[in-house]
Amino acid sequence: MTGYGAFVKKEFMEFYRSHKLLIILAVFLLLGMMNPLTAKITPQLVENFMPEGMIVNLGEPTAFDSWMQFYKNVPQLGLVVLVILFSGMMSQEYSKGTLINMLTKGLARRSVILSKLTVALVMWTAAYVICTGISWAYTAYFWKGEILHDLFSAAVLVWIYGILLLAVGLFGSVLCKNAYGNLLITGGFVGVQFLLNIIPDAIKYNPLALVSRNMELIEGSLKFEELLFPIAVSAGLAIAFVIAACAVFNRKTL
Amino acid sequence: MNLQTEYLPFLIPVIIIELALMITALIHVVRHDHYKFGNKPIWIIVVVLIQIIGPIVYFVFGRSDEE
Repeated sequence: MTGYGAFVKKEFMEFYRSHKLLIILAVFLLLGMMNPLTAKITPQLVENFMPEGMIVNLGEPTAFDSWMQFYKNVPQLGLVVLVILFSGMMSQEYSKGTLINMLTKGLARRSVILSKLTVALVMWTAAYVICTGISWAYTAYFWKGEILHDLFSAAVLVWIYGILLLAVGLFGSVLCKNAYGNLLITGGFVGVQFLLNIIPDAIKYNPLALVSRNMELIEGSLKFEELLFPIAVSAGLAIAFVIAACAVFNRKTL
Repeated sequence: MNLQTEYLPFLIPVIIIELALMITALIHVVRHDHYKFGNKPIWIIVVVLIQIIGPIVYFVFGRSDEE
């Protein structure tokens, strides 16, 4: 276990030294601020850009609009940034050959995978908590006293989906020699989910529901219990991908 | 005037983030001589003039891995 601890420490150090910590914090801070802001200024923008004499009736922005922006921006921009930042997890080690020394000195291969995963999870959790917290604080500041359903559970769903993507990314980066192959695998994984949504029977189990049906949850038109299947499928898939990553890495020649 | 005070809670943090990114990136550009592509003047211009995206692009694509 000491190997695991030391490697986690090294990973955090690398994350900090390569300025990835700075980037992830800056991006998610801005993402958190952007949502309430866009919700607030959109009516003014539309008003200013409309040609003379044209009238568009847009209601006063509400806290609901702010969260709608949140669930549009974070799954798109936030998750893409997350996947890109962690796409080079293993490929950098492969290309530089930095793992060979440590593995021949007796570091378990499993520890390498698990510590990479730990760092990715900690970073994603921290960034996401900050982002959601800021968005929540601004929304509460601008629109006081509006009642919304299930804010917390809706936010947790995106977090779970992020974990699933990280697990897929880990598997992909173990499999591929460079970061682009990994991006292709993660992109393909999401693409397959979009395709599966065409089949009516599959929608009930599709993990994609975690990032696409949040607003229904906040509206109150969807019960949290109905999403238990996608959550279970995502959790199962995430664990399966991590185990597969360990299995593949055990046989990989460096 | 009213509009400015209304958006002040957004403006201040954005400016802080922007400056923090710009300064860290600028220090890194000035202290290093080798980049994946481009040279020092180009990266200084990119980092200083393109807000937020410039420093991020530098750290992700421009920064050389060798110390």
